[in-house]
Amino acid sequence: MTEELQSFIEKYDLLGCIQCGRCTGGCPVTVRTDLNVRRFVYDTVDEEALEELAKMPEVWDCTACNTCAVRCPKGLKPVEVLIGLRNIMVESGVVQPTVRDALESVFREGNPWDKSRATRNDWMKDLEVKMAEPGEPVENLIFVCCTIAYDPKLQVVAQNLVKLLNKAGVDYGFMDTSETCCSSEVHNLGEEGLFEMMVEDNTELLNEYAAKRLVAISPHCYSVFKNQYPDLKAEVLHYTHLVGEILEDKKLELTRELPEKIVFHDPCFLGKQNNVYDEPRYVLGQIPGAELLEFDRSRERSLCCEGGGGKMWVETESKKERLSETRVKDAKELGATVLAVACPFCVLTLDDSLKAKGFEEEMRVAEILELLGEALD
Amino acid sequence: MKTFVCIKRVPDTSEAEVKVDATGKEVDSSRFSFDINDADNYAVEEAILIKEAKEGTVQVICLGPKDADVMIRMALAKGGDSAIRVEDPRIFAKDPLQVAKVLAATIKQEGDFDLVLTGCMSADNWNMAVGVALAEELGVPHAAMVNKVEVLDGKVKVNRELEGGLSEVLEVSLPAVLTIQTGINEPRYAPIRGIRAAQKKELKVLGLDDLGVAEDEVSEANSLIELMQMYVPELESKAEIIEGEPEEKAEIMAQKLVKGGLL
Amino acid sequence: MGDLFVLAEHRQGELREITFEMLSKAPEVAKELGGDVVTVLLGSGVDAFAEKLAAYSDKVLYVDDPLFADYNSDKYQKVLAELLKTHKPDVFMVGHTTQGVDMAPALAVELKLPMVTDVMDIHFSDGKLSPVRQYYSGKVNADFGFKGDPPYLLTIREASFEIVEGSKQGAIEKVESPLKEDLDYRRFIEYIEAEVGDVDITQSEILVAVGRGIREDKNMTLIEDLAKAIGADICGSRAATDAGWLPHDRQVGTSGRVVKPKLYIAIGISGAFQHLAGMKGAKTIVAINKDPDAPIFTEADYAIIDDLFKVVPKLTEKITELKG
Repeated sequence: MTEELQSFIEKYDLLGCIQCGRCTGGCPVTVRTDLNVRRFVYDTVDEEALEELAKMPEVWDCTACNTCAVRCPKGLKPVEVLIGLRNIMVESGVVQPTVRDALESVFREGNPWDKSRATRNDWMKDLEVKMAEPGEPVENLIFVCCTIAYDPKLQVVAQNLVKLLNKAGVDYGFMDTSETCCSSEVHNLGEEGLFEMMVEDNTELLNEYAAKRLVAISPHCYSVFKNQYPDLKAEVLHYTHLVGEILEDKKLELTRELPEKIVFHDPCFLGKQNNVYDEPRYVLGQIPGAELLEFDRSRERSLCCEGGGGKMWVETESKKERLSETRVKDAKELGATVLAVACPFCVLTLDDSLKAKGFEEEMRVAEILELLGEALD
Repeated sequence: MKTFVCIKRVPDTSEAEVKVDATGKEVDSSRFSFDINDADNYAVEEAILIKEAKEGTVQVICLGPKDADVMIRMALAKGGDSAIRVEDPRIFAKDPLQVAKVLAATIKQEGDFDLVLTGCMSADNWNMAVGVALAEELGVPHAAMVNKVEVLDGKVKVNRELEGGLSEVLEVSLPAVLTIQTGINEPRYAPIRGIRAAQKKELKVLGLDDLGVAEDEVSEANSLIELMQMYVPELESKAEIIEGEPEEKAEIMAQKLVKGGLL
Repeated sequence: MGDLFVLAEHRQGELREITFEMLSKAPEVAKELGGDVVTVLLGSGVDAFAEKLAAYSDKVLYVDDPLFADYNSDKYQKVLAELLKTHKPDVFMVGHTTQGVDMAPALAVELKLPMVTDVMDIHFSDGKLSPVRQYYSGKVNADFGFKGDPPYLLTIREASFEIVEGSKQGAIEKVESPLKEDLDYRRFIEYIEAEVGDVDITQSEILVAVGRGIREDKNMTLIEDLAKAIGADICGSRAATDAGWLPHDRQVGTSGRVVKPKLYIAIGISGAFQHLAGMKGAKTIVAINKDPDAPIFTEADYAIIDDLFKVVPKLTEKITELKG
């Protein structure tokens, strides 16, 4: 037991913390909840206290946006301390039913939405999709993401990418229904054992495809493949890298005018976690007739939408305004007509908030690929 | 306490499109997702809770294919001690009375017991019959649709969930069979590390011959009932659209709710 | 040529509706069988029940004994086994209720009766009895036949048959209970009514669910009125709990609660798939939404495509009227 607990200190380099408080100072959810991440970094040094600390509900308020890690002058990752505490609960078997069901679903069916694996590619119906085959060389292996594959509201994102790639004539391939959850959220929910297993299985599966590049549509898949899958052979890209390249190489021209005022919301897992800020803006900039606006809080200072860190399965019990609502209000104040995002979770949280605020008349939330679909016609 | 808990692997068809297969007597399950039967999951948790409170053992029994091993391992990871999976193509699983015979033979072979828990209903077949039939086969008392269990000396005090929010409190002598209603507890999560550790626990796979059950006791040919045909009923798969002016719609809907016995 | 036996179900001094539902279908079945409708009643001080049941039966066989003051499956099984052995009916219908399912399977095992459960309809093909039941979330039906010898035991799903007022004048025959002393291995203690207080929506039988379509807190009174009229608890989508219209423990969906009520009335909920995942287990779903393409309609049994502000108040009014 002691050995394992000591490793908690070592694992997260807890003794390196100087308690400067920059982590908590920058933490976006502190405006809504009692979460004080600095305090957890301090308190978890006490091995005896770990189990009690793990039971504190704030542990589940973290959205894994990574702001704390970005701001830490000592290079620590306070977010991982919280995930470590979640792991203690997961290993004890006591987690919220919604978390339990999501994790069991990943284990059984390869997606967190309790959907049948066999129906994973149903979104492809009536589309001409090039399929990749294990062993057959392919330039771009596309990784769809469970949420985009199954949520009828988001399937258009993958469908539009197919149309775009077909038009551009680039070499690509999608996977059959063996595509399995990247498990970014499995990690964030603290299920280390399942995460290790999925990394191992997915690495083996993905390496069977002779792909030069692995292109993830969701920033969550992109980030985890890039940073937590050390043995992947393919280079990992976000789709905005690929689409940016296609537009730059003039393989495709966006012809239809979209006279919209577009403001881009940086997804945490693309921006703060991986410094991809320019590609989405470049792609949006190629849309004819569109005017690009910028949030005051953009790029590394971008506000989290609260969709990550397992938050699709854990509700924060706070009466205070959601960050996604703040974001939507900011967008409206800027006079934006489109709040553009490049992440499935951002679409869900921001679109919910937009409707809750009743801004449907003057503004909409759109994934970049939705806009590209419109600009292609 | 020596407890057995019976579990089943079932498809989740609540959202799935269901089509009858070429035999006309079963559905095409190739596009379904599968899980432990919901009520059985609660039964597993209740068995583990009893073990934690009263000590003893929990043995998991499952009639089903190899794919059910995942669900069995999860139950073992949660605290089950060992498991038996019965697989034999000769068993007619659409007859709950045949299933009860197989489960009874399996339990009898393992010797004495204090308690057998089953889910109160399987999500695919909806019979609500196996547990109670099993009790009769074993010659022990039972209670069905139990949503509270208190283990006393030589007996259990249980609440049965009746209609309309009413419960019935009973005392049942041990050994007994209880069929467990969903919601009795909050099933725990089986972490993957626990599932891996549970690989060491015994999982026996047995057939009818191992159990000493004759084929003609449990086969389709010798069942007293015959499933003649399965079919997708017309209209029922789609929403009935209520037409008319708002007031008419309200009227029609109110009729359906009140007269249709939905309220 | 045999009779149809029907088990009368009663609790806390009242005959339950399932009894009359079965008895309303019974004459049709008995006619095919060429026998009588015989209602079997076990109870204590139930003369009045016997009188009432005679209007639906050719004969009422009843046991009146203090041992049957409260329902007990094992006692029922003992007496019913004797009655079935003596009278040898062709068919025995028992409610697929919490009483019926606690007893019928054991009786079937004891007497080796062919049994089909949860029967929602009864046909005859070539003069042979063919019960219909469902599988897989009610998405397929199956027709059954019998191979063994009668009596055939059927457990009948509630609300499968419409009640038709009885006009028979059946004979009433009191029979001696073959059970002479109480059973010590299963003892009835008491009934407990559901606790009132904080609502646990996962346990609710009827739910009215509200979504962002309700727009403002003040409109919640429309929902409260309806819930009150039908004895429902109120729950909502994430949008509704977010907006503070409802407490968080009333949220249905993947990040809230998973509910399985008998009736779920979704009002102004478009049905994000995260919400649908939380309520798809409801037995009957009514959806009211002005958007014909709202995904909620894919899960609904009844769809009202209209403005909720126009429909809901009228619905409350009509239900109140009908319930009298």
